[in-house]
Amino acid sequence: MSKRMGRREFMKLLSYSAGGVILAACVPGPQKSVEVEGPATKVPEEVADVLGTFPRRETLIARILTGRVGSPDNFNEWVGWKWRDRGTQNLANEPLWSVDFATGNIIPGAAEGDPTYSPDFMSLTVPLRKGVAWSDGEPFTAADLVYTIDTLMKYDGFSAHTFFVDNVAAVTAVDDYTVKFDLKQPNSRFHTTFLDRWGCTWIMPKHIFEKETDPVQFAFNPYVGIGPYKLHSFDPQGSWTAWEKREDWGKSPTGILYGEPKPKYIIFQYFADEGTQILAQLTHQLDVAELSADGLKALLSQSKTSRAYQPTFPFVVNNDPCITGVLFNTARKPFDNIDVRWALTLAIDIVEYTSIAVDGSGTLSPVHVPHLGPYPADYIKPMQEWLKSFTIDVGNGETFAPYDTTAPKRIADFARSRGYIFPDTQEFLEQAFGLGWYKFAPEIATKLLEKNGFKKDADGKWLLPDGTPWKISFMCGTVLSNHDARNAAAAVQQWKKFGIDAEMYTTENGDGLGATGDFDVSGAWPAQEPWGAGPDLYRVLDRWNSAYKKPVGERTQGIYSRWSSDAMDTIIKDLRETDPFNNDAVIALGIEGLKEAVTNMPGIPTYGYIGFVGWDEYYWTNWPGSENPYNEPYTHWPNFKYTTPFLKSTGA
Amino acid sequence: MTFLKRYLIPRLFQYFLVIWLGITVVFLIPRLTPNDPVMRMIGEMRGRGSTLEPGAMDGIIRDLTQMYGLEGSWLDQYWAFWVRLAHGDFGVSFFQFPTPVNKLIATAIPWTLALLLTTTAISWIVGNIIGGLAGYYSRKGWSRTLDAIAMVIRPLPYYIFAFSLLLLFAYVVRWFPITGGASLGAIPSLSWAYIKDVLWHSILPALSLIILGGAVNFQTMKLFVQNTNSESFVQYAKMGGVTEDRIVSKYVIRNAILPQITGLALSLGQIFSGALITEIVFSYPGLGMLLYRAIINGDYNLIMGITLLSIVGITTAILVVDLTYPFFDPRVRYN
Repeated sequence: MSKRMGRREFMKLLSYSAGGVILAACVPGPQKSVEVEGPATKVPEEVADVLGTFPRRETLIARILTGRVGSPDNFNEWVGWKWRDRGTQNLANEPLWSVDFATGNIIPGAAEGDPTYSPDFMSLTVPLRKGVAWSDGEPFTAADLVYTIDTLMKYDGFSAHTFFVDNVAAVTAVDDYTVKFDLKQPNSRFHTTFLDRWGCTWIMPKHIFEKETDPVQFAFNPYVGIGPYKLHSFDPQGSWTAWEKREDWGKSPTGILYGEPKPKYIIFQYFADEGTQILAQLTHQLDVAELSADGLKALLSQSKTSRAYQPTFPFVVNNDPCITGVLFNTARKPFDNIDVRWALTLAIDIVEYTSIAVDGSGTLSPVHVPHLGPYPADYIKPMQEWLKSFTIDVGNGETFAPYDTTAPKRIADFARSRGYIFPDTQEFLEQAFGLGWYKFAPEIATKLLEKNGFKKDADGKWLLPDGTPWKISFMCGTVLSNHDARNAAAAVQQWKKFGIDAEMYTTENGDGLGATGDFDVSGAWPAQEPWGAGPDLYRVLDRWNSAYKKPVGERTQGIYSRWSSDAMDTIIKDLRETDPFNNDAVIALGIEGLKEAVTNMPGIPTYGYIGFVGWDEYYWTNWPGSENPYNEPYTHWPNFKYTTPFLKSTGA
Repeated sequence: MTFLKRYLIPRLFQYFLVIWLGITVVFLIPRLTPNDPVMRMIGEMRGRGSTLEPGAMDGIIRDLTQMYGLEGSWLDQYWAFWVRLAHGDFGVSFFQFPTPVNKLIATAIPWTLALLLTTTAISWIVGNIIGGLAGYYSRKGWSRTLDAIAMVIRPLPYYIFAFSLLLLFAYVVRWFPITGGASLGAIPSLSWAYIKDVLWHSILPALSLIILGGAVNFQTMKLFVQNTNSESFVQYAKMGGVTEDRIVSKYVIRNAILPQITGLALSLGQIFSGALITEIVFSYPGLGMLLYRAIINGDYNLIMGITLLSIVGITTAILVVDLTYPFFDPRVRYN
């Protein structure tokens, strides 16, 4: 006998079914597809309290720069992107060498000193540090480095596979602490693939990886490194990763070089929003915050225990090894014309420009390296006389000397007029605002453009030589607090004032459009970032190598300006044939390279990259601030581990 | 038979057609944008300062294209996608290579479901009950007060409202944590301590969604009830001496709630898109940020995985509403 279901019965059935589905959905189900094997992370029996499992006075908490970790149980840093600033690069790994842009020195970590090249640069030997052990207790030897290179060359899934296949003929362990590389062609900068500047080739623990049948898929969990910290635990959602000081920290290069790290635990925590970072630091739940300019101001105004990198204006971290500015697509008219590039440079009032971009807090550089580390002494100061005497041809036999040594003082005066207080010493002004920049000379810019057939219409707007309106589309990313967008906003405003129809164009695909040359002007760095340590500018200059240039539409392998010159090619060739450790020769060639770049101005260098760091001194002090820059100041950089022995606990 | 032939089968056909079309569009759109996942990865590595040797760049691009399964025509990739999907596999995430998409979704989805199912249900039930009563008794003082409060809350931008809650309850009075889905050091388990900790962390995100969602439901239900209240059948019931309780529950709210049921079904279907701003303000885990990051990075497989859930969720919700409407509204008949 059948029975019809009434509405009430149906509603009940629907409610029970819906409840069941909701409950079932909340229970994690079995997973299919590729699974990576690895020991489970440590599971505390009770919920860990930051004051329990991690005693706060022994714990340092910093924000992870690159966001929530997407693959928290995978530490295979040799494949793709693994959020290495969650403590892997900055605490647990030690490379052969690291750059320290605060001191300008290269720090040998796993290596005991510089590499030695053969005179023809066809081979090099690397001395390894003795007495180092992996965090699981196994000794670190030459076999690990040899195994790493052999493995990277064997599997094409590794990011560095192509580089080593193209360059390495053989790698051998001369003894337990010496490795010899034989190269396929001369390469005087081969060792820089092991020089850590926010990423390099790391060394695998042979005793772990050799047990894996597929090292590309291997999750390498828990991470084992030779750094002073080892993995404690992590959030499966990627919100935090906790590291614990190794009991045998003395067998890490950090311990050997600098002594015992002070925090017992260090946690890298994810904050999606700047506001929560500020609240967390105000309540002493976050020791290191990375903020925007306004965020840092808000933090400093509210907190009694927070400090910035600089104790006075401009407060910011101004020693990041990167020069920001404007990059021209020299493969596209009219930016293929040096006069046009210089006209656009001289149409900028740098005081207004830095005021718009960074509230006057950036350190100027007139050349294509930032004013920090070794570069002021090695390059910017020695180039002052040349910069003062440098002239450009305005036409009709007229020349113009564009360099302006008063620019930093004008920015300082502007900052004072806004009520900022800071020391008035020459040393401070140089460190904070630089040594000089270029004059604001709209009349010279006008002459340069008119020399090339540009003219203004009745409304005072610039027309191209063919009579059509001149429009400049300035490409930058979508995060408007980033320096590409800050430079874009400032340049567009300046060029609009000069009579050019300029506009900002924001895109998430800056790299794709940049690489294929589909843009006018970009906020991408005007030159490749230098190492930040040591005088060698090969990394900067080589990106202007004509060999890397591709036609528009194809991906260029050099810098996106697609500029090169015969003179620059010659300098690069000479640099390749020069021992990178011959400082005098390297500096002489570097100066010639920078002169060539300034003369042609394929991109306008403006101010060095600045960061906005807030340190809480409630639990930890002796941060590497501007008054005592013993190490680079960021917790996300690889060298943060070298800061840990110098931190002091307040005992709070 | 008539029900099957004239109603169920056409709607099931429409259901599967919409899902297929939705998936095909989602397959095509990321590929039509200039966001190339290989260049995004290289850009990410370059942007973070990694040294990518210029001479090795072509090889890196070739290797990444191969690893991501982006070789071959779009048709080849489309076919490979359906073959994988038939095995319940979305492939691996490009940006979080080689983590499977299934695993990423499985990790995030319990947080999204637990938060949004609960808050959607609570805000719907509470908003509609109070809104219904406020609509019926719209001349009472308490009804006007509630209406005034809702008028203030509803236009507030969600970010501002959520951050204000955070500021008040996590910073000023410090009753709740500032950030995260659980405490630092807490590893997921079925222990009471962990569950308690998760609940504690979820209160502010949930409260922000319930209050704003509840205000929306309150205002719409109040309007529906006020309109229904002026209908002649309600007036007739009043004149006929039907008790007020019965008029409210059986005559007014029951009729006014019908569009709200459709709204609830659509809200439940949209849950799989996550709550991006909630996840940003409270650094809360979930599908919203996962999807946002996938779109930004051109992570085709992950985009497909999450949007497939969303497409199926919304179309299923519409189908369920279509099929069950006669049970809520006796005036609707399939034939």
